[in-house]
Order: sequence, then C-alpha cells, then structure tokens
Amino acid sequence: MAMAALRREGRRFLLSSNPSPVVARSAIFSEESSAPLGARGVSTQVVRNRMKSVRNIQKITKAMKMVAASKLRAVQVRTENSRGLWQPFTALLGDAPSVDVKKNVIITISSDKGLCGGINSTSVKISKSLFKVTSGPEKETKYVVLGEKGKVQLMRDSKNHIDMTISELQKNPLNFTQVSVLADDILKNVEYDALRIVYNKFQSVVQFLPTINTILSPEIVERESEAGGKLGDLDSYEIEGGETKAEILQNLAEFQFSCVLFNAALENACSELGARMSAMDSSSRNAGEMLDRLTLTYNRTRQASITTELTEIISGASALEG
Amino acid sequence: MSSAVPFWRAAGMTYIGYSNMVAGAVRKCLKEPYRSEAVNREKVHFTISKWSQGKPEKPSTRTDSPEE
Repeated sequence: MAMAALRREGRRFLLSSNPSPVVARSAIFSEESSAPLGARGVSTQVVRNRMKSVRNIQKITKAMKMVAASKLRAVQVRTENSRGLWQPFTALLGDAPSVDVKKNVIITISSDKGLCGGINSTSVKISKSLFKVTSGPEKETKYVVLGEKGKVQLMRDSKNHIDMTISELQKNPLNFTQVSVLADDILKNVEYDALRIVYNKFQSVVQFLPTINTILSPEIVERESEAGGKLGDLDSYEIEGGETKAEILQNLAEFQFSCVLFNAALENACSELGARMSAMDSSSRNAGEMLDRLTLTYNRTRQASITTELTEIISGASALEG
Repeated sequence: MSSAVPFWRAAGMTYIGYSNMVAGAVRKCLKEPYRSEAVNREKVHFTISKWSQGKPEKPSTRTDSPEE
C-alpha cells in the first residue's frame, strides 16, 4: 500500500513536471526494484534527497533573482538616460530600415550569460530573418555578434557569414568609452553600406521589444539625401566651419554609430536583467510547487508505513489474546 | 577644431577615436575627487575575435585593467 502510494505520487510528479525525467525515473524505479514484493518499510531516502536538491535549487534561483533585481535598478536609469543620445540623430537623419544597399552588416547584440529567458534567441531570430531580407544576388551580408550566447546560436547554421564576435563586454559596468572603442574597432574592420543593430529594447521588466536600428554609411546618406525625403532636408542646415558636407556626414555617421551602439548595448543589458529576474522568479515558484508535491508524497508514504505497522502490531496482539 | 580634421583623418583615426582621445584629455584635466570618478567611467574591457571561413581566429582582449 505504501509502495503503491509512492508509485502513484511519483508517477504524477514525473508526468506533471519534467526537469530531467530519465534521472528521476531511474532513481525512483531502481528503489522499487530493489525492494522485494511485500516488503515492509519503503525507504523514503530518494524522495528526501530529491527534496533537498530542489530546495537548494530554489535557494539559488531566489538569490539570482535578487541579484538581477538590484542590478536592474542602476542599469535602467542609465539606459533611460542614454536614450537622449540617439534621439537627435533620428530627428536629424531619420531611420531608414528599408534602404536597399549592397553591403549589409548585421550587429546582433546578445548577452554573455544564460538563464535569462528568450531574449537571446529573439535577437538571433530577428537577425536571421533580417539576413534573409537583406541578402540576395550581388549582395553581401555579414554578422557581427556581441555576446557569447548569440555567437553560440549563430554558429550552428550561419558560421560562414560571421565576421567578428565580441564578448566579455559587461565585465565592468557599460560605459561610453568602452562602447565607442568597440565601435571604432568595428568600423575599422568591416566594410559596410548599412549597419543594422539588432537588440532587445527595454520596455518594462516583463516586456522587451526586438528592435532594429539602421546606420547608413556617408555615401549612402548622400545618395539618399539627393533622392529627397527626410534626408533631403539636410541641405537646409547651415554648416559652420570649413568642412565639406562629405566630411561632416562621415563624422556624423561614425558618431551616430557609437551612440546608437551604446544605447543598444545598455538596452539589451537592461532587458537581460529584466528577463533573468522574471525567469528566476518563475523558476523559484516552480521549485516551490515541486517541493510541495514532494513533501506531500513523502509525508503520505511515511504515514502509510506507520499505519501499516500499527495495524500489524494491533492485529498481532489481538491474535495473541484471542 | 576644424583645422585638425585632415590630420587625424590622415593618421587613420575615426571620429570616434578622435573624440575619445579628446575626452580622455579633458578627463585628465579634472581635479580629485572628480578625476578618479571620471577615470572609472573610461574602463575598457572586451574580447574581440575575427572570423574567416567560418572559423574564429585567436581572440584578442582589449583591456586597460591589469590582468588577474
């Protein structure tokens, strides 16, 4: 009876939650096969060990959630402040995601660490579809990947298109100097007509918008400005100093790239922390539920064996008396 | 500043590199305690590796903090 209860509960627990079914099943079933049929006193050691490990995991996930929450606060402020860096550029140059150019460089921003929900796979997925949209005959599209996790995911099927990977960006808190040195390195090493930055824009702790920002090379800006539109208004600005328009546009494009990259890296770091917070929150809740179920199983089994033993003692005693 | 442009361009610098250098010079002019605060904001650390034919080359680290 005790065995049956354990088996029933165990099976339900296995079906409902699926952490590592093979290991869990073999642990419980080997216990079952080691006890001969009709043996008294089922060992509850397995359940007890499992409870202990679940409790430890819960402790870890709770701690990770706390860490993410406290880091998030600081990064969020910086992120919101950094939005002021790219907004003037968008006001001046506009955003042209649909521009059709030969050399595209997709800059995928991801995190170095995992356990943060689906934000890395989102930006990888968006990058891949952007790759499909921008690639074609006589066109060249390359990836530049920031962060370990995006690199691992892109290596699987598009490693021939990766041009550069960058990691360990977040060892120190992100700052503009660091990102602009990085932007400098990227600009010097890739040839581009349009840079497309893919990242998760931080909306709220539970909402992230995958976003694409497009930065055009000076030549393309000039071409587009002749075609008119938002960029056509550039000529109406009065320019001080002796530089030509091409020089100014080149300086602007480079500075725009570093500003947008800085904001994108911050937004993504912020989204990462938010996603980690909610992921860790739900995993500690799941661990709690699992712990409840295991505790119930454990207590029921123990109670069942006690009841059985009591029944046997009483019936034995009454048999002696009778 | 407008007269400086052709020179740093000729030296192969980008606008970002130039403005970073200038910003570094400005930070060096600060007095303590503001100075160490500002220096903290310009720490650079990342690892970069170029890829060719689907294989990563040896990564190089750009850092200005001492190696542990």
